[in-house]
Amino acid sequence: MRSSAVSKRNQAIVVALLIFCATISVATTLGIVTILFKESIGFFSRVNLSDFLLGTEWTIGRSKNPADYQYGIWPLISGTMRITFIAMLIAIPLGLITAVYLSEYAPRGVRAVLKPVLEILAGMPTVVLGYFAVVVITPTILEPIGFKPYNAMAAGIAVGILCLPLVSSLTEDALQAVPNSLREAAFGLGGTRFDSVVKIVVPAAMSGIVSAFLLAFARAIGETMIVALAAGAIPTFTIDPRGPSQTMTGFIVEVFQSEDVIPGTIAYYSIYAVAFTLFLLTFITTLFGQFIRRRYREAYE
Amino acid sequence: MNDIQVPMVDPGRAKQRHTISKLFRMACMLVAVQAVVILVILLSTIFFRGIDHLSWSFITGVHRDDNPDGSGLWPAIIGSIVICAICGLAALPIGIGTAIFLEEFKPKHWLLRVFHNLVQLNITNLAGVPSIVYGILGVTTFVYMFGLIESYEANKAPSIEFGARRYYQVRTAAKTFVWLPVEDKTIRLLEINDPIEAMYPNGQSFMLNVINRGDPKPDDAELLGQTVYRGSKGSIFSKHPWYYLRLPFHKSVLSAGLTLALVVLPIVIISSQEAIRAVPDTMRDAGLGLGCTRWQMVRTIILPASIPGIMTGAILAMSRAVGEAAPLLAVMGGIVSKRTGPENLMDNAAAMPITIYKWARDDNPGFWELSASAIIVLLCLLLTMNSFAILLRYWAEKKFTAN
Repeated sequence: MRSSAVSKRNQAIVVALLIFCATISVATTLGIVTILFKESIGFFSRVNLSDFLLGTEWTIGRSKNPADYQYGIWPLISGTMRITFIAMLIAIPLGLITAVYLSEYAPRGVRAVLKPVLEILAGMPTVVLGYFAVVVITPTILEPIGFKPYNAMAAGIAVGILCLPLVSSLTEDALQAVPNSLREAAFGLGGTRFDSVVKIVVPAAMSGIVSAFLLAFARAIGETMIVALAAGAIPTFTIDPRGPSQTMTGFIVEVFQSEDVIPGTIAYYSIYAVAFTLFLLTFITTLFGQFIRRRYREAYE
Repeated sequence: MNDIQVPMVDPGRAKQRHTISKLFRMACMLVAVQAVVILVILLSTIFFRGIDHLSWSFITGVHRDDNPDGSGLWPAIIGSIVICAICGLAALPIGIGTAIFLEEFKPKHWLLRVFHNLVQLNITNLAGVPSIVYGILGVTTFVYMFGLIESYEANKAPSIEFGARRYYQVRTAAKTFVWLPVEDKTIRLLEINDPIEAMYPNGQSFMLNVINRGDPKPDDAELLGQTVYRGSKGSIFSKHPWYYLRLPFHKSVLSAGLTLALVVLPIVIISSQEAIRAVPDTMRDAGLGLGCTRWQMVRTIILPASIPGIMTGAILAMSRAVGEAAPLLAVMGGIVSKRTGPENLMDNAAAMPITIYKWARDDNPGFWELSASAIIVLLCLLLTMNSFAILLRYWAEKKFTAN
């Protein structure tokens, strides 16, 4: 065989291998969707869909008799939303302004400190932030003003800290994508830095900023270890951030680590139903973020 | 002169606008500095809580249920390293392969092109999936294998396995143990009535000497160690080399490592793609112009040039894997009280993030500070990995700007 024929054959083998590698990531998504869907069907063959979607009590594993279990998802969703809302209240303003400062103002020296700090925060294992929430934030800040030892607030603050670097780095990318000619035009019209940032740059980057917010939102919904450590393990349907709350992710972890999950039991199936809800929420948020970035992106050539 | 109306800029108002601008800048800086403040508070509180218990005996010790002061982290450190190694061995080849496919082999056939776009879109979405969902995927796929294969039960030999060696263990007249080979693994107890071939635990084989109860024992010490009483029973046990495999994988380090590999796969792919994209097109053209096939060009030009960047991404992905707790909790459960690291691929293991979590939730407050000590160890490990990544990135940047 000629050497070029050999290399052609080798290339064909390699391409086949590479396609196999690429298939695995697609198989992962398909696997997640099918498994969650299939096992959720197992759940909904035992529990009414309307009880699940409309009920306001979630008591799986909380009473001795499985017949007494209540399967309303709302306490878990309300727990997730409470914590996510608090996290966004922290991460969005702090992240946005940090990004504005980094992109528009920061001198080299400050930037050289601030960027690594944000990267370290972004790489912090979530279990560490959870520890920080339950051991530092709750006892030193929240308990003196009447919060319970496990509460949504501490978890929300820690999730906010987690999302802050995500918001700031994605927002900074969006701000940097705004061409300098726009800023110069603002200065040329006699605008100050403030005018250029608030009236020109931020509005021009709005699609990127909103998609950054949505990604952070999805991240906060899916965050597990912080809420498992700091938020407590009681599903509550309320908006009060002072008491314990269980999120969707918190419930899943609680079931996994408390008992052996025996396939076929209602607790086992409920994990999948909750995870499916969680997956749908994050997936839709991520897709929506991508859609906004693509649809409303101002392309400057 | 007075006929011409010049629009006057109010100097007071201009000054006010500049003041606002300056104040805004100050406000932005104050807010931005909060990130530093948060990090300093976070690290210092954990440091001061954990430093007291940080000692060599803490690092080399094992978890003790009622004794926080005597507990240590060693099995968890080994467990984390093993899981992370499995994760890397699985995720890096697949991730880098996918990145090469996406960047260098843009297909011409329409069907493959659809697949190509699908993979790219899919990776962006996968990166947003919560890690606990991957944990559930891992439980269903690796731990139970969809329930297709009979699940592993205690005291019952798994139906599909590889690499296990089974022996009957028999007590000799010298009160030592010798091993007998197993022919039928469903027989759990073997009664010995006739001389058969046996071996010492070191593998040396000999003929078993069988005597009746009440017979005089042999005087020779070696022969005594080879003698058993008639009717002695040997119970089955199995020795598992490190590569021991069974299906399904059950709650093992292999399941955990593979699950984490799926978690970090999108990160590996995205960072490898960026590293490959950073190689200038002129180098590709040069290779193809010399008559290379695409794969020769990738192998001899693109990969060597992008390997520092790929490795940087790989290390960052691995440091994500080391700190990840939720998928491990789902796949292995919350294990803390292991005395050693995993002995084979099918063994379960303690891991650092799980230990931190369990200690922080322990009823005994003594463990809370220990949890902080464990966090310090984990952060030191991450710091080492990340500084290595930063050095690589620095080296890679220098290499490319020199060209």
